[in-house]
Amino acid sequence: MNHLLDEALLAHFYGESESETESAFAVESHLAKCAACSAAYAALRRDLAAMQAVDLPARDAEYGERVWRSIAPLLPAYEKPKKSWLQMGLWRGLSYAAGCALLVAGSFAAGRLWEQRQQHGPVAAQNPQPKPAVKEHVVVVVLDDHLDRSERLLVELKHADAGSEETLQPLRDEARALLVANRICQKDAAVKDDPQLATALQRLDQLLDEMTNQPDGLNAATLAQLQQEMNANGLLFEVRVLRSRVAGQQAARAGLPKRDNAVGGTI
Amino acid sequence: MLCMGKNDQQAVQATLAGDKDAYGVLVVRHSPNLLRVAFRITGNEADAEDVVQEALLRGYRKLADFDQRAQFGTWIYRIAVRCALDRIDAGRRDGRLNGRMEANLPRVGEESDPEQQSVQVADEAAGPERLLLSGEIGALQQAALGSLTPIERAAFVLRHLEDRGSEEIGAALGIAPNAAKQAVFRAVQKLRVRLAALRVSA
Repeated sequence: MNHLLDEALLAHFYGESESETESAFAVESHLAKCAACSAAYAALRRDLAAMQAVDLPARDAEYGERVWRSIAPLLPAYEKPKKSWLQMGLWRGLSYAAGCALLVAGSFAAGRLWEQRQQHGPVAAQNPQPKPAVKEHVVVVVLDDHLDRSERLLVELKHADAGSEETLQPLRDEARALLVANRICQKDAAVKDDPQLATALQRLDQLLDEMTNQPDGLNAATLAQLQQEMNANGLLFEVRVLRSRVAGQQAARAGLPKRDNAVGGTI
Repeated sequence: MLCMGKNDQQAVQATLAGDKDAYGVLVVRHSPNLLRVAFRITGNEADAEDVVQEALLRGYRKLADFDQRAQFGTWIYRIAVRCALDRIDAGRRDGRLNGRMEANLPRVGEESDPEQQSVQVADEAAGPERLLLSGEIGALQQAALGSLTPIERAAFVLRHLEDRGSEEIGAALGIAPNAAKQAVFRAVQKLRVRLAALRVSA
């Protein structure tokens, strides 16, 4: 039988046995069977029991206070922790960002609220039906086309036969159509300060107006009157001259599209 | 007037926030424990009181490094043990502490001197036997402790008198737990030899 080492006995005494062979149960079992080890352990216990603490007489309750008073003057106070510039900058940046976000959100909410009030307010109640969009007819009139059509109309008018109703009605319809375009061209001529064109178009306007607005329609008497007026004013000739001039201007602007002579208006 | 309502953690935080008096709470609360272990290690009342002050001053200076998840009491206790070791080392260097502790015990193999022993006891006529029988073993014990190295002495005090485990002893002394256990074993062996010599001489 192997005897227990002093180290194992000491560990057993302090309750710090580590290995399985030195476990409290193993040591106790061994001590119960081994007289030598049992005697050695008893001697160890006796010696350690003799080593008792020799403490100071107990201090009074003021001892701690006295210690504090003795060392307090030697202690500099800790400085209060300061926030680093990085933390300050971060917090400041976050504050600005939060403020901006709040401002944007507030503006959005106010806008939505205002929009809702506009939709459901008293004005809306008075006009529950949405106002229909105004349809604007934009007519693009090309001057030389207009003059060309006018010239053809005048030629047909010059040679028209008063006895044929079928011939006169298309003339009247064409006159009505040209009347609108002619007024647009008149305005354009006034804007462009072209007196020759403006005068000719004005005469054409009067003729077209009479063709269109005869209460009884075109008949032999009115047809003869119109033909007389047209010839008296030299209107056909004047239209031809203007058409020729416009064509010349187009030629001068070689390369430009015909649409450059277009004038626009709203009816 | 110190406000003792703070617990240790609150007092540490308040101290670090600039409230110096909060440290006073910790001083008042832990000074008795520190004095006890300091006296057991140094074996001298004056040295023990110096150790307490030194430990608390050192603790204050290092308080910013203290991990506040730990127990302040354990932390300052370890500082006090280190301070006590430093005190023993300093005493040994100038021969003061060593001489004071060991002057009362015979060296191993030497005859004990009854007159020298009487220096540490009330009854100057008492010999070792008288010391043992009359309960004056404390003086002899202190003298026997003086024969140990500072680490052995501190390890024995912490194990035998303060009932600390090897882990805690190692942490306090800055050594491994197994080394702490070995230090305790060596201390016990030496002390038993000293006490045996006294018994023989008695």
